Parts: sequence; C-alpha cells; structure tokens
Amino acid sequence: MRAYELLRETLWRRRYIWIVHVVWLALYVMFWWLYYPDPEEFGGVLFLSGGFLLPLALSAGIIGDDIASGRICVVLTRPLRPGTLFVYRLLGLSLQGAIHFLLGGIVILVLHVVTRKGSTEGLAFWLFLSWLLFNTWAALSTSSSVLLKRSHNSLLLLVAFVTIGGVLHILIWNLRNYAIGDVLKGILRYGFPPDGLLRDLGNGEFEEKNVTLAGLDLPRALVYTVHSLLLTVVYALPGILIFRKKQFLSERD
Amino acid sequence: MLQEANEPTSGNDAREAVVQCRRLTKVYKKLLSSRAKAVRALNEVSLSVRPGQIVGLIGPNGAGKSTLLNLIAGLIFPTNGDVTVCGHPARSIQARQSLGYMPEHPVFLGGYSARATLRYHGALLGLSRATIADQVDKSVQRLQLQEFIDRPCADFSQGMKQRLALGVAMLNEPQLLLLDEPSNGLDPVGIIQLRDLLKQLQDTGAAVVISSHRLGELEKLTGDYMFMHHGQIITFGDNAMARRAGQLLVGLESNGPRLAETLLPASKVLEASETELALAVDDPAEVPDIVTKLAEGGARITQVVLQHENIEETFLRLCDEGRQ
Repeated sequence: MRAYELLRETLWRRRYIWIVHVVWLALYVMFWWLYYPDPEEFGGVLFLSGGFLLPLALSAGIIGDDIASGRICVVLTRPLRPGTLFVYRLLGLSLQGAIHFLLGGIVILVLHVVTRKGSTEGLAFWLFLSWLLFNTWAALSTSSSVLLKRSHNSLLLLVAFVTIGGVLHILIWNLRNYAIGDVLKGILRYGFPPDGLLRDLGNGEFEEKNVTLAGLDLPRALVYTVHSLLLTVVYALPGILIFRKKQFLSERD
Repeated sequence: MLQEANEPTSGNDAREAVVQCRRLTKVYKKLLSSRAKAVRALNEVSLSVRPGQIVGLIGPNGAGKSTLLNLIAGLIFPTNGDVTVCGHPARSIQARQSLGYMPEHPVFLGGYSARATLRYHGALLGLSRATIADQVDKSVQRLQLQEFIDRPCADFSQGMKQRLALGVAMLNEPQLLLLDEPSNGLDPVGIIQLRDLLKQLQDTGAAVVISSHRLGELEKLTGDYMFMHHGQIITFGDNAMARRAGQLLVGLESNGPRLAETLLPASKVLEASETELALAVDDPAEVPDIVTKLAEGGARITQVVLQHENIEETFLRLCDEGRQ
C-alpha cells in the first residue's frame, strides 16, 4: 500500500505530467508518420526526446517542490526514512519511463501494421536503451532536486550538460595528442550519462565484440546495461545522502 | 509536568514523558557565514510533557516556538541537547509512529482529493487498506469533511485545508500531536470542533503541544502555558501560574502616597494617588497581608479590588519583562 501510494504520487504530483507523456507520445507518432524513419533515426529521436528531455520534464521539482512548499515537513514526520522517499520518487520516475516507452512501442507497432511503412527492426532494443538513459538522467535530476528549490533542477542540469559537455569536447579536441585527452575522453564516455555509449550499442557498432572483465568474456550489451544501471545508482547516492542529513524548517517564527 | 528551563529531568520522567527535551540548543548558521551572523533560536531548553497534557506554546515572533516544534517533530537537528518522543529519539521511525504534526500552512497535492490525501498518509503510516478505509471514515465524521471529501485540494479554502491537515495529523491517533496555529482560517464552528477533538484526544492519554498567537482561543483549549522569549522558556505551568500576577486596587480616604511610602516596598507600588493605590501582587494570598499592613498603619480603606490579568495582559507583561 505504501509503495503503491509513493509511486502513484510521482505521477499525480503535478497536473502537467500527464500532458507531458501525451505530448511526447504524439511527437513519436508525428515523427513516424512524417518520415517513416529507419531504426537508427528513430533511435536518435527516442534518445533525445525520451531518454534525455522527458526525464528532465518529468522530474522538474520532484523533491524541490515539496521542500519549497513545506509539504515535505508533514511527509517526513511519518515513519518513513528520507532515503526511502527519495528511492520511491526515483522508482516512480523509472516506472513512468518504462510504461511510457512500452506505450510508445505499442503505438509505433500499430502504426507500422496499419500503414505497412517504416521499419520496426530493433525497436524494442532502442526503447530499452532509451529507458536506461532515462533512468540515469532521472537519478541526476532527482539528486539535484534535493538541493534546488522548485523546478530549477531540470533547467540547471540542461545548462550544466550543455556547458560541461561542450567544454570537455573542446578540451578533448585540443588535447587529442596528449594522454590527458584520453583520460577526459574516458570521463566523458563512462562517467557522464551514457548517451553516446548506448547509441553506439543501438547502432550495432559493438556486435560480436565482447568485453573481457576480470577474466570473463561478457557481451558488450550486458556490460553497458549494467554500467548504465550502476551510473543510475551512483547519481542517486549523493541525493540520498544529502536528503538524509537535510533539515526542513516548516516555518521559523 | 513542565519543568523549568535549564533544569535536567530525572530518568523516571524520561520514561513516562511523551516529550522530553534536555538542554536543547539550536543555532541557525548559514553555510560559509561568520559565527557572528549565527542565530541562537533555542538556548538550553529542557522540558517534559506528560501523557494527556495540552500545552500552549506562546511567545512573540522569533521566540523559538516553531523551532522547538520542528525539533520535536524531528525536522531539524539540535545543535546541542536531545529530544525524545515516547522514549525514542526524535527523527527515529519509532518516534514518528507516535507523532501527528500539523504545520501552520498546510500544503497538499492539488490533484488529490481529501480522501486521497488521507489514504496517502494512512499508507505512509503503514496501515492496512482496511484500517485506512476505517480511519478515513472516522476522520470524515469527526472533522465533518463530507462536503468536500472528494473535491481536489487545489479548490480548498484555508479553513478546509486546516480541517484536512488536522485529519491527517490525527490519522494514526497519535500519542503526541504537534499543532502550529491550528485555528488559522477556521470558522467559529470549526474552532469549537477543534476544541472538542483535542479534549477527546486528551482523554485518550495523548499529549498535545499547540503553538498559537490566538491567545483567547488557546485559553479555552488549555490551562498549561509555556511562554518563550529569545529562545528560552520564561514561564510555564497552569492557568494560575501563568496568570498569577495581578493588580490590587486599594481605595483610601486620603494620604495614599505617604502610606505607600512608609508601609509598602517600593517595588509593589505601581501608582499612588491621594485616594487610590495600585499595587502589584504576585499571588492572591498576599492580599490579606497587604490590607492588614495598611489598616494597622492607619489607612482608612474604602474599597479593595483584586484585578487578575487575562492571558493577553500576561502575554504583554511577559513580553515587556523579556525585553527588559
């Protein structure tokens, strides 16, 4: 009952969340209808809109709203650890993402069957990869929402991503002949949300190229999936730790 | 029983008390700001609230009332000292199971109805589906929420929000209820209902701590006041203690100033005219002594009137004393 209510809350906390889901699904349909894209093109759109922008839109103020309004003060006087609340907020987002991509997949399949145009090859894989990316951004955004009031977390992440990503790319280009360039490249590729990594995976660039980890020969898809899930946990941890230690003053007289 | 500020409490009290604060200090300091800019909101406050007690927390703005409530609710950490609720550290899961909290400005999810809000909080309390349904029905009955139980909270007036917040706070029939300005926005019927509800809750052995500026309302709810000023408990106790101070008006035929000067300590004399003395009395038991002393000193007394302070006058007097 508690889990159900905490997950449900993430969907009902703001009225526009339903609208966001519907608009995004409509975007997929329009893109399909207008361009009948090949799997790679459609994968790119899913990544940008569903994997990156959608979690930012859905997680705007996911904890900051409650902190700013003071609602958190009543919620946290319940027998519930702040860390648990954080995890349920993130799980709620992740569940919304899963259902969103499932619905998106069904809509595209129906369109494909009806129009007999375009290709649905690898669609399920692209949807899964988009969901993995969605989770990493959702975790980053939820963590930043502990620190930033209202919806500033999403906006700040967007600005930070563009700024830091841009600076790193410039640095990597200029330092491409030095060892530090490779280090920066590694940080960008494995420490940042795995947009590029998962897109490459979706494009089939790593087929038949396994990864050897601790003496084990593992499929690259599995390694990158685990990597994305681990990044989600790593991005969530600072938020949980700060939230646990944060003080919430309902009203100072 | 409320205990004096700075006075440590016994271990036995700690076991029995619903709330126990020991040398509680809270200093607000912004990150990277200097120590000089820190605000000491509470200063070594010790108190104990026993089951069935309703305590009215009063004091001017900035006295530390809300800080104290927030510390008991476990929303903030003390800088020094400790708080226990029903024997468990504040902020622990066990303490929160015994606690109901109503903030000054309750906020609910706009898209949720009152029923959904109550159900949500029931779930957070870990109640079963059947118990939640039962508790929601009870809340609807006792707070008369029937009219708006299925309306979205976004459409609620302040009074409706207050009622719902009270329902949310009382959902688990808590052993400790913390209320911050509970009568804000309530109509007269709502205030009477609130009073009745708190009395009912008191009868079940629950303790209630109410912070309010509405002294008249508070007076009808409780006899126990805790007056706070500059982060300290200035006075505490029941009606008689909080309102013990009064003014004794003694009517005389003549010679008021001379009699006052020769027979009474200067600290007792508030005003002295030829035909009337206004004297400060801390306890009504002092009155016979004063009258006897004046009569024996040759005063021809025409009238004796003891004026008690009401709670507002007490509040203003304590504020003045606090400022001095």
